[in-house]
Amino acid sequence: MAIRVNPLLIDDLERYGAEDVQKCYHCGNCSAVCPHTDETFVFPRRSMRLLQMGLERKIEGSLEPWLCYYCGQCSTQCPRDAEPGETMMSLRRWLTSRYDFTGISRLFYRSPKAEVLAMVALGLVVGVGLVAWGLGNGGDIRVYDGERAFLKSHHVHVFDWGMAAVLVGLLGTNAARMWWFIMYRDKESRVPWWLYVKHVLLLPYHFFTQKRYAECGERKPWLLHLALMLSYVTMLVLIMFFLGHMQSDTWHWQAHLPGYLATLGLLGATAWMMRGRLKKITPLHRHSHESDWVFLVQLFVVAFTGILQHVLHRTGQPLAGNVVYVVHMMAAVPMLVLEVPFSKWAHLVYRPLAMYFAAMRREVLRAKVPAPLPAGARRVQAA
Amino acid sequence: MRTAVFFCQVGDTSPLNVDSVAKYASNLPGVEHVEVLGVRPPLDPPRIAERIRTVRIDRIIIAGDQPGFFKPAFTRAMDLATRSPQEVFLAPFEAWGAPGEDAEERAKAIVACACRGVPFTLAAIPAKTPVHPATLVIGGGVAGIQAALEIADAGKQVHLVERTATLGGHMAMFDKTFPTLDCAACILTPKMVSVGQHPMIDLITYAEVEEVSGSPGAYKVRIRRRARRVDVSACVACGICAEVCPVRVPSEFDAGIATRKAVYVPFPQAVPNAYVVDGDACTWVQTNGQKCGACARKCPKACIDLGEQDRVEELEVGSIIVSTGYEVFDAKRIDRYGYGVLPNVLTALEFERLTNASGPTGGRIVTRTKQYDKRTKQDVWVFQPDGPSPRSVAIIHCVGSRDSAYNPYCSRVCCMYSLKFAHLVREKLPEAACFEFYIDMRAFGKGYEEFAERIKAEGTHVVRGRTASVQMVGEEMVVRGEDILQDRLLEFPVDMVILAVGLVPATGTEELAHRLGIQRDPDGWYAEFDYDGNPTETQRGGVYVAGMCQGPKDIPDTVAQASAVAAGVLRSISSGRGSGHLASLTLSQIEARAKTLSRPT
Repeated sequence: MAIRVNPLLIDDLERYGAEDVQKCYHCGNCSAVCPHTDETFVFPRRSMRLLQMGLERKIEGSLEPWLCYYCGQCSTQCPRDAEPGETMMSLRRWLTSRYDFTGISRLFYRSPKAEVLAMVALGLVVGVGLVAWGLGNGGDIRVYDGERAFLKSHHVHVFDWGMAAVLVGLLGTNAARMWWFIMYRDKESRVPWWLYVKHVLLLPYHFFTQKRYAECGERKPWLLHLALMLSYVTMLVLIMFFLGHMQSDTWHWQAHLPGYLATLGLLGATAWMMRGRLKKITPLHRHSHESDWVFLVQLFVVAFTGILQHVLHRTGQPLAGNVVYVVHMMAAVPMLVLEVPFSKWAHLVYRPLAMYFAAMRREVLRAKVPAPLPAGARRVQAA
Repeated sequence: MRTAVFFCQVGDTSPLNVDSVAKYASNLPGVEHVEVLGVRPPLDPPRIAERIRTVRIDRIIIAGDQPGFFKPAFTRAMDLATRSPQEVFLAPFEAWGAPGEDAEERAKAIVACACRGVPFTLAAIPAKTPVHPATLVIGGGVAGIQAALEIADAGKQVHLVERTATLGGHMAMFDKTFPTLDCAACILTPKMVSVGQHPMIDLITYAEVEEVSGSPGAYKVRIRRRARRVDVSACVACGICAEVCPVRVPSEFDAGIATRKAVYVPFPQAVPNAYVVDGDACTWVQTNGQKCGACARKCPKACIDLGEQDRVEELEVGSIIVSTGYEVFDAKRIDRYGYGVLPNVLTALEFERLTNASGPTGGRIVTRTKQYDKRTKQDVWVFQPDGPSPRSVAIIHCVGSRDSAYNPYCSRVCCMYSLKFAHLVREKLPEAACFEFYIDMRAFGKGYEEFAERIKAEGTHVVRGRTASVQMVGEEMVVRGEDILQDRLLEFPVDMVILAVGLVPATGTEELAHRLGIQRDPDGWYAEFDYDGNPTETQRGGVYVAGMCQGPKDIPDTVAQASAVAAGVLRSISSGRGSGHLASLTLSQIEARAKTLSRPT
């Protein structure tokens, strides 16, 4: 099919954070310093080029933005201050909004006001709903646990599972769209089915280790990111499967101990990341999009109110505990329903998927006969 | 004519009080509307057009540091308002010397001229002054040599002051010139000898300009002759002093890749052909006569006086030609290229000496080899004439140039000399692979593009893409870079890397600008009076700029500019009158002249 050019693509991307794409004069310095560039995926210059040419469809089908972990080497050494690292970051936001068919993601990224308003509105609905539900079902706001509890754990449990179903549905369609853009829409991008089987273990591997981030120069950001992710997953598992244990008067160390560790991890990592963004420590921190802040602040609030309601409950203040519990839900529900499928959170699905797709693409392209090299030169192999 | 003045800045406004200039502009005749828009204002042509219609404006002046940046929006607005788009004039502060000394007055004068539709350079011509017939040339490179010869051949006295011990400058170090591949020395040395022998040229080497006083046309210049410690008129350059001298230091002429003695002649064709004692290296000088002194004892003509002191002398001249040249960018500042760490990463100037037949290896292109230095008891990397030839050479363009972290400008000569290097490598080592890594190939001159095509045809691999790093991988030196046209990342194992370093103004450029009272560009080069119309004079009358010190240029352009400068000097001498100092003009004088020049409206 004919190649279509979108001359306004760069202007559109500006609203996702990228500012200086036009400055690039294609010296190739960025691709050569990138620790992740290999023979198949040469970036970020290729993405800069596609953007300058306005090849929207090609960018929709490109994997490169998801293979970049923003160590910032490219931006630091760029002779034109074209900020290739920030461009890749903005492309990830842009792609997130493309994978989402509802348009909500696009609205959130382009208008932080709309994002915050939606969060607040949904939070209020949840708050009012929970209070009405609690009171309407014979709950007593002064009781935290048991038969007369204000928010009964088995009710919340059902609510949580309903929410999870919505979440998985949305994320699933987004992931399917990502697959369609990258692996299926263009004929030449399709790969044989058995490759999907062969590489499927890469999905859990990259999800749980985030190994590629570790190859990005310094190891500290990776450790921090890994700590945050593992804490988050731990918490999710505890809430989805062991809410009854968590929300009871008796101690269940097998649930509470990992819960405390995860809370510590969430609070510590988000606080540390906010500090980094405030002090602009690394190139990654120099540009903070509003969506980055929403992500961090919201997660911090959720973790903080979560542990606070627990502490209040344990220290014999069920009334305060119940109030904070409602606040916690008012923050957590918008996070899970709006942020995870439509905003920065979604990358928890896209990143491992991208690694999975990249491995297949690499294998297919390697089998092709490459163009001859100048005498003496050699290809850079994948790390 | 009903005029509107808009003030728009591209950069920082702090050096100039824009509001005060705006107030002045509002009182100029015909000015109906003045607006200060600030730094990089968002300009909306339809809204400006609305303003134009309501105030009924026929002419727009855009004032600011670089107002041309904003011109399209205003031209469009004039068009929308059905006025003549030709009636948009610029009042560029930066181009015409504000900020500088008394920036505000200058800015006002620039705006006043623009409002009257008179080019500033036409209105701001200082009164002519009588000119002393002697000329001072500062800097004895090819520009200084050319200008001095042109003026002296016309029968006028020239004093040529050179900081080092010999004429020649950088061109004397070069092997070949591009694109003709002529021998650089064959062009330059006859000129150097002519200067040395010319009856009208007073050659003052190993000296520096210390103070400049007086006014245009009648300058008094104090010159410090540094102690050469060798009598130039007596020395016959027999070389016995250097044979006995025990001190070895890096040779400036060989760009540091070889050594010289503390008493030395810079190169065999030096003018004046006499030895010089490097006081900073000489044992006798450093110990106040306690040790050594072997050269003075052995000199058969007894022309070495190690105790000689600096001398100061005064000259009276009418014109001063500045041709102080350049230095190469310090490649150590970019540590990813490994210069100064990896032994076989060279700068362009070092390679130039390596491949030069008069260089330390007799023109053989070899890699550095490790050698044990008995004196320092350390291994050192040196070029030896019988060293191993490189099997592959990488040439990296734009080192320090076109880079916002270093020099934003293009150094203009690097592409071409890099191509010349590729030719020399392929000519001397036909078996060796040669890679050129470039961003854009700037082959702009006569015969240059053809030269670039020729180099490609000769088998040099020209790779589009600036490389990122030079690193040791095991025993191999590896250049890593993106081949942009093929969209792939490659590694090139090479034995030698040549960095095509950019150019920066010579050290002391700032001090000299201060002494002479002339301005410099934001990049540090000397500012000419008017880039398009008068590229040889400066704002101070009687002070001219020639060659690289005004901005990077190749040898043909340098020689052309030097001759043009000589023409300007000779014009002022033969007419007896030269231009004065622009700063001596008051605002009211410029205004008055602009008024007489402008057609009554």
